[in-house]
This record gives sequence, structure tokens and C-alpha cells, in this order.
Amino acid sequence: MQQKPDLIEILRRSREGEYCSPRDWDLKRIPQGVKKMLKKYDLQKSVDKENPVNTDLELADEFFKAGYELALELGMFNEARDRIIRISEDELKSTLKLAPSEVELGFGADKRVLKSRTPSDPTPMLFGSSLGITVSEDKWPLLTEGIARQLEVDLLEGGSLCTINGLDALPNDPSETLLCYEQGRMHRQIRKKAGREGMPGIGNISAVTEFGQFCYGTKGNFYNTDLSLILYPSELKINNQTLHKVVHTLAMDGLIFAGSPGMIGGMPGTPEGAIISSIAASLLQYAVLFATVGGGELYDIRYLSNVNREGLWALSATHQALSRNTHLCTHGIANQVSGPGTRELMYETLVGVSVIAASGTAFSTGPRSAGGKFNDYLSPLDCRWCAEVSHAASGMSLESVNEMAKKFLPEYEDKIKTPNIGKPVEEVWDLQNFRPLPEAEKVYDEVRAVAEDFGLPL
Amino acid sequence: MDNVIVKKLYDAVIEGEEEIAVEAAQESIDAGLNPVEVIKTSIQGAMDEIGAQFEDGEAFLPELMLAGEAATEAMDILLAKIKEDGGESTEVGTVILGVMSGDHHDIGKNLVKAILSANGFKIIDMGIDVGVKAFIETAQREKADIIACSTLITTSLPYQKELIQTLEAMGIREKYSVILGGGPVTSQWTKMISADGYANTASECVSLCTQLMERSEKGGEGEPIIIGALT
Repeated sequence: MQQKPDLIEILRRSREGEYCSPRDWDLKRIPQGVKKMLKKYDLQKSVDKENPVNTDLELADEFFKAGYELALELGMFNEARDRIIRISEDELKSTLKLAPSEVELGFGADKRVLKSRTPSDPTPMLFGSSLGITVSEDKWPLLTEGIARQLEVDLLEGGSLCTINGLDALPNDPSETLLCYEQGRMHRQIRKKAGREGMPGIGNISAVTEFGQFCYGTKGNFYNTDLSLILYPSELKINNQTLHKVVHTLAMDGLIFAGSPGMIGGMPGTPEGAIISSIAASLLQYAVLFATVGGGELYDIRYLSNVNREGLWALSATHQALSRNTHLCTHGIANQVSGPGTRELMYETLVGVSVIAASGTAFSTGPRSAGGKFNDYLSPLDCRWCAEVSHAASGMSLESVNEMAKKFLPEYEDKIKTPNIGKPVEEVWDLQNFRPLPEAEKVYDEVRAVAEDFGLPL
Repeated sequence: MDNVIVKKLYDAVIEGEEEIAVEAAQESIDAGLNPVEVIKTSIQGAMDEIGAQFEDGEAFLPELMLAGEAATEAMDILLAKIKEDGGESTEVGTVILGVMSGDHHDIGKNLVKAILSANGFKIIDMGIDVGVKAFIETAQREKADIIACSTLITTSLPYQKELIQTLEAMGIREKYSVILGGGPVTSQWTKMISADGYANTASECVSLCTQLMERSEKGGEGEPIIIGALT
């Protein structure tokens, strides 16, 4: 018998669940809950910095058990009302059973099938580009079309916009609503112009609040075969904006793509703690947020990245745990810090995306070039590289990817705190002609050749 | 200095034990210790230590926040004693702290709160999703020195600009130093919107706020102080 709670029940629990103060949630419930599970499953100090990819799959399974139990013990916190949305074991089991293992995205010849994967699964991990790097209004259409023209890129997200006809678009303001309607309309036109009308999209990256998300699934805007992006404040914590977006997407018969990273150094503490909280958050997204795709993001707040040794290990263990113990269509991100046109970004992508792909993740997005911090620091060439690595590394053994990580980490790891931010798009990419500029292409060719020599089947 | 009491307070802050920290602060007063020295040695010393542990991956956000809370409670007792004795307050300044409208990410803000508190700043924490009007009304009511506004969301950045523009339109820009924080904030943005400063990390924010309190220029007058930005 189906036990998965319905939307009304989730909304009820979001108002009437157990009261908890935000301070208690952040400083007691999460840290104490995580510590308890780490101890119970003997997972403290399991990160191996010398081997940045976990190859012990039984250990990954132990992490899954700990994350699963944490999900049941903690539940998801609604900060709008300081209430805990708790999910019972029967409900969680039923939710995971009912979650799709295969989802059609987009339509026609450009359609993609998102499939649940396992570690070293040869099924290619799908890749969507980019992340929410802000792009100037005048460059956004051609840059986004440049990304759509990269046939290796499976889903189109595109950068964020901050202005509409020169007016700052502010969250929770009518300008946000207007901007997102306009961006969604252009997003659809751009896919058609690039010759990939049915290419699945992700929308809307500029929607901070629910107002921006109302464009999803409406006439002339994002299709309901695109993914509706629903990010929430931190792992295990949602708010009413999150729930508004869920309600709207479900009303549009759409596909929910939920996520928020577990933080190494944050409330769950150690990398091992972050793995457990990330797994718990991933599982709960399917029950509380009705996710079709979700979970598994994770990064280190000291570096705002995860391509460092501890971050990579945590990513690998999280995704191995989820992919071996569920049939969920999970999502993961390699959070790069270097910028367009740099060798460092190419290597960060090579290592980070390979680790996710080989660990059994179904879907990834990126790049987060220059840490996603600088306006216009996004190139379609880097999107292509991410997608190429995503597809090529999918069948690799964890041992090979571990060797790859060990070989190429020295190319960038000492610069993670002070990264080379590279160049803005116009200095690395010919926007009008949709091709890389020679200097950036040379860097791409060089690193690509190095990766091929190593054995990445590009 | 009574090393036992000093160490008790130091350890209580490191461990985030609020009650013990308060007890030790009171014991230091009862023992006739110089409260200014106690703050410097026990509280600021402990916060420096836990900050270093955080950087090294040995302490994490909950520990840092609990230490900040213990430090703040102990400081309140010691500051009251300094005032009672007619000494100059060691409270460095008042900071209005919040995350801009539309943004619900509070990790960075909480870090800054913990570290600034322990370094003698009075912090008014406005929380997340704070509108421009609320920032200004609170700054006026609390007679603040600094308004510190952060965001992790690029699309919330324009609210930082709107905050400064509104202070200018109200004719009160010079009363407050406005400092920025958060992932998408750059030195370029700080200069573009005529903010007074930016710091890349919570510990660098202490230096930023201290420098702003010491300089003679009023809000919006001097060159922005940029600490630790990539560009």
C-alpha cells in the first residue's frame, strides 16, 4: 500500500509539525544527530586524503545507512514556521520505491532520457550547462545560444540575468517576475534557433523567489518537460518560497529538480558528517519536495568548492551511497573555482566531473567557473568540456578515477584559495560566430590531449 | 592575573559553554582582575584559537557559533564592569548585520556575527531576507556605526546598491559605514556602488570594521577598504 505523503499532508506538517527554534535546529539537532550517526556506524575519520576517491563500496553503504537513519530522525525544517516536517520509515520507503528510475526530458529528436546509474555504469551521466553565473543582458542571448550549440551538452540552463532592459531585477519584486518571464521566453527561442527545439531546459535560474518561478510551465515559456529548479537555503532546511515553487511545478505537471548542498565545515561538521547530511537531505527531497531529480550536492565552506581532496572524497562517497542503495536520479556538481581560459579550470573539471560520473550520479550541471562569482566569466567551451568529461568518465572504474585525481590534483590544488579567475567570455569566445578564441582553444586542446593520454575515452 | 580563572573562561569559550563562561567572567570580577585584560586574553584569545581551528578543519560552524555566543555573554558582564568602574567602554562599535532581501543563506552571516562579537563589537543580528527599509530603521534606532549586509545570491546584489542609494536620498549616508559580504560580492562591485568596504572572510571582517571605526572619513567619503578580494 502506498504510504507516500501527499502535498496536503506535507503542507500540513510544514505548519503543524514539531516546533523547533532555528538555533536548536542548527546548533543542536543537526550537529548532535550527525555525530550520533557517525559514532553508531563508526564513520569518523574515514576520509582518505591520499586517495581522493573512495573505492570501498561497503563503506559507502554504511554512509547510506547512516544518512537514511538521520533522515528519519531529523526530518526537514521549515524555517518559515520553525516546524519540522518529519517522514516515517514507511513513508520514506514508499517514496523511494515510487521515485522514477528513468525520466524523459525535453521532446522529439532532442529528448534525453535521464537514467538512474550505479558506480562505473557505462550509461553516460547527463550534463546540463551552465550554473547561475551572472551574464550581462546584452551578451546573454548569444552566450546561451553558444551553450545550446554544444551538442555534448544535454540540458540547457544558461547563466543568470540581473537586469531587464537595464533595470535591476530584484528578488521579491515585480521586476523579478518580469525578468523570469522574459528569460523563459528567450530560453525557448534560443533552443529553437540553435536547432535543438526539444532540448530539455532547466528553469528558471534567475528565480530567487516563487515569483520568478511562475514562468515555468506557462504558455510560451519553460516547458513542463524541462526541469523546474527548486533550490533551498541549506541541506535539511526549506522555507515557504521552496514550497510555493513545489506547488506551482506540480500544478504545471512539471518535473521538480531540487537541491541544496551539504556543507563541509558547516552544521554537519566534518566531511564525513557532510556526507551523511547530504544523503539525508537527498532522500527527504523526494518525500517533502516531490523531487524527480535531486540531491547529492556538497561542498567545503572553507573554499566554496569541492574539487579539493576532502571535497572529492565526500562527493564520491555520497554518490556511491545513493546510487548503490536507491534507484533515484541523483544530481551532483563539481564546484570549480578557476575561471575561463585557464588550465586550472580544465583540470578542476576533469577531476571533479569524472569523480561524480564514475560514482554513479545520474546528472550533473556546471561549470561554476571562477567560483560563479564574476559577471560574464562563463564560456560555452568550458560547458562543452564538462559535458565531454561527464560522458567519457561514466564507465571508468573508481580506481582509475582515483589515479586520475591523484595525478591531476597537483595542477590546481595549491591555488584553490587564491584561484586564477581567468577571463570574461568576450576574451575567450567569439560570441557572434559561436567558436572559441585561439588562445582558449589552445588550452582546451592541450588539456584534452593530456586527458586522452591518461586514458579518458573522449 | 589569576591563571586558573583566565583559563576557565578561555576553555569555556572554546567549548561554547555559555554558563561556565558567564560564571568565569563573574569570578574574574570578584577576584579583582582587570576586565580589559580578561577580555583580551581569555575571550579574544579563545576566539582566535577557534578561528584557527576552523581554518584547519578541526572546528566547524556550530562550534564557532557556540563559542561566539559564550564569548558575547561573558563580554556583556565584563563590559558592564568596565562601565561601572567609570572606565572607557571597550565596545568597539555597533554593527547592524543581516542578509539582503530574497536571500535565506545565513552561514556566512553567522560566522561574522560570532567573530565580530568576540572582538568587542555590539552586533544587532537582523537575520535573513532583510529589506532595505528594515536595515535603515534599525541602524537609526540603534545608533549604529556600521551596516553590514551580505548575500550569496547574485540577484540580491542590487539591494545592496539600493540600500546605499536610499541612505543618500535620506541624507544620512555619512552616518553609517556600509560594508558588504557574500559569495558574489567583488571589489569592483564594492567600488561601483560606493560602499565603504568588503572583506573576504569573517576574520578579515574584524580588521575591516576596526579600520572603519578608526578612520576619520564618514560613511561614503573615503576610498573603500577592500580586504582579501580576488580582484
